[in-house]
Amino acid sequence: MRVSGPSDTPALKPGSSPPRTASQEESVQHRHLLSNEIDLLLDGEAGFGVAPLRSHVDDCAECRARLDEARLVADALERLPHFAPRTGFADRVMSQVQVVEPWHVAALDTARRFVPESRPLRALALAGAGAASVAISGSAVWIAFSADLSFQSASFVADRVRAALVSGVAQALETTLGSGAADAIRSSGSLALVGGALALVAAVGASAFGFRAIASAARQRGS
Amino acid sequence: MAPSLDLPNLPDADVARLAQQGREPAFRELVRRYERPVFSLVFRMVRDTATAEDLAQETFIKVLNHIDKYRPEFKFSSWLFKIANNVAIDHLRRRQLNTISIDGAPNAASVADIEATRFDIADKSESALDAMEARELGSAIERAIGALRPEYRSCIMLRHVEGRSYEEIAATLDLPLGTVKTYIHRARHQLRDALEHLRE
Repeated sequence: MRVSGPSDTPALKPGSSPPRTASQEESVQHRHLLSNEIDLLLDGEAGFGVAPLRSHVDDCAECRARLDEARLVADALERLPHFAPRTGFADRVMSQVQVVEPWHVAALDTARRFVPESRPLRALALAGAGAASVAISGSAVWIAFSADLSFQSASFVADRVRAALVSGVAQALETTLGSGAADAIRSSGSLALVGGALALVAAVGASAFGFRAIASAARQRGS
Repeated sequence: MAPSLDLPNLPDADVARLAQQGREPAFRELVRRYERPVFSLVFRMVRDTATAEDLAQETFIKVLNHIDKYRPEFKFSSWLFKIANNVAIDHLRRRQLNTISIDGAPNAASVADIEATRFDIADKSESALDAMEARELGSAIERAIGALRPEYRSCIMLRHVEGRSYEEIAATLDLPLGTVKTYIHRARHQLRDALEHLRE
């Protein structure tokens, strides 16, 4: 029986399994394996087409030797060590890496800072937060459903504040300008009242400035 | 303060996700996991320790500064090796080294093509390699790997040193699956030829 060498067979694209027919599979038994067929065995490929190759290797010493030789190289490659860079490699890398924390992560981290470490405290905080959120939500709902009442309350508070302000200013005017002038301003309306208040403030400011100038001149004379 | 995590036991995708959230320990964990494989791959590509360290550093800086672009549906290591390989190949292309020509491109059709595409290896670091050479098969393999074309080298390293499948290598190196198989086949063949003297 003639056993043809690999060079006698047509070249196939390495690594790709040749399409096999029954007659081709049979022919594997009558020739040496191609180098891509050795590769299939080396890679431990399984499948329909590989069984005849294995069977051939079992019977053919030359192909078995070629496979062993290929395995020797593959095993030596697989035993190659990993080399290590110099110490401090990670630090050198990290010195040039920008660590950017997205805003939502930063916000979550900030929120986490307020969460207590111990379990009972966490439960207490959770209960407190729950109660507060229920109270706030309830208030919001109540306010939304009683807008009229809210408006009336706000108006009432505003009226009281305004009345207190007007009364205070009128009293100050009466004290400084006398009751006659205060009555005249009061009868002229709120605009005159505001004008009077401003005049009062200006008078107080001018007085303070005058007293300060006098004190300063006295100090200079003394020195 | 971020919650403490068991980083060494998390899968790559989770560590990368934490790095995307700006957790510095996650960045360091990725460097710790891959500094040796990346450095080894790059070193075996460029055959010079200082250059390999610079290129490995460049790889990590690129990857970690663009960690937001990492998509978890892909393997982190494939993305990292792809960038490491590109950085090494770019370096080899940029530098015209003092050389020993080995082979032309696998698809070179003419002598001119072979001349234009043949791979050159640096001989300036040969003395360093010579020192560890001829002692054992591992040393001879290292030298034989150095004589391969860069494309063959990255494929054979990823296949046999990193244990990647053909499909992963194809995805990592952006090459068709058939091309990867061809490169590995040719690389093995060249390695077998280069190591033949050891068997005699």
